[in-house]
Amino acid sequence: MAGEKRITLEIFRYNPEDGGEPFFQSYEVEYLNHWVVLDAINWIKDEIDGTIAHRWTCRMGVCGSCGMMVNGEPKLSCHSLLRDYAPGPVRVEPLQHFPVEKDLMIDKSGFMERLAEVKPYIIRDDVNDTGNGEYLQTPAQIAAYHEHSMCINCMLCYAGCPVMSLEPAFLGPAALALGQRYNLDSRDKGQAERVDAMSGDEGLWGCTFVGECSVVCPKHVDPAGAIQKGKIAAAKQWYANFIKPKGAKK
Amino acid sequence: MSRSNEAFWWSLFAAGGVLGALFIPVLVLLTGFWLPTADPVEAAEHYTHLVELLGRWPVKILLIAVIGLSCFMCAHRIRHTLMDLGLRGHARAISLACYGAAILGALASVLLVARI
Ligand code: FES
Repeated sequence: MAGEKRITLEIFRYNPEDGGEPFFQSYEVEYLNHWVVLDAINWIKDEIDGTIAHRWTCRMGVCGSCGMMVNGEPKLSCHSLLRDYAPGPVRVEPLQHFPVEKDLMIDKSGFMERLAEVKPYIIRDDVNDTGNGEYLQTPAQIAAYHEHSMCINCMLCYAGCPVMSLEPAFLGPAALALGQRYNLDSRDKGQAERVDAMSGDEGLWGCTFVGECSVVCPKHVDPAGAIQKGKIAAAKQWYANFIKPKGAKK
Repeated sequence: MSRSNEAFWWSLFAAGGVLGALFIPVLVLLTGFWLPTADPVEAAEHYTHLVELLGRWPVKILLIAVIGLSCFMCAHRIRHTLMDLGLRGHARAISLACYGAAILGALASVLLVARI
């Protein structure tokens, strides 16, 4: 390999099937200037140690599968240049706040269930068939939710959010932002169906606005902002419900 | 819609945060630095003027809102901080103590400001 510089990666190793304890294994890598952390892990897996388990697909920050803790921070490993961590060592761990399946691979099933809870799709009674044309939106209507729709489900926000470690049942940033993304969509009429999941103590109100989700988000989804918008909407609804006569309350 | 009363406490917290950010720095500057460091004769004049201003009801209501809602903002933040520090087992007692103190603070602000 035509490497230019050397750096050491300390990779988190854990295999629940062999009953062993987790440990860190160091690998020295010669790297090229444009290499990212994921390149180094792939090289190690191909050339030194084929037993490392990690996820990746696109290598370009689109698929969201390569999230890892790099030197303690949640990062897309395909977007983290090795040279930024020189002279090293670089410590690579699975995303925190998730159960580990093996080495750098986390168990995503809890996250997937949370996504399903907020019904992240357009809900309305009058389903248009395509023959009737599209649902039109003005640029302002698109702008209302657009940034929150850029999520790639990389789960870095869950690893960044301190509430996740204190309150494991918390719905979490990405799911709440996605629910809010559909609530803010002018084509959607499904707010009432999302409210139970989103407005409980483990939903919007679990968030204490630390804001770390928006800091670590590689796609500028601003989940913290989406959650605050959700809180304002939920608070308005609370007052509306409060002043409604008893019989009219749902 | 919302199933959680957190919406209510949060709205007081949010209102207190907004009003506090707008008015408290100005009030601290005015009453904490500007008045005490002004020329005594001038300060006396300003003081009379301030007291006159506080005699008006719209100003009183604003001041009560700033002080009262700030109490709720602090209570809410302290409550969440205590829970985050690991006292989740005492959630009820913490809520009672924090919001109870805020209600007392807000009532005190009404009584004190109304008497000016
Ligand atoms: S490999 Fe797809 S986002 Fe990194």
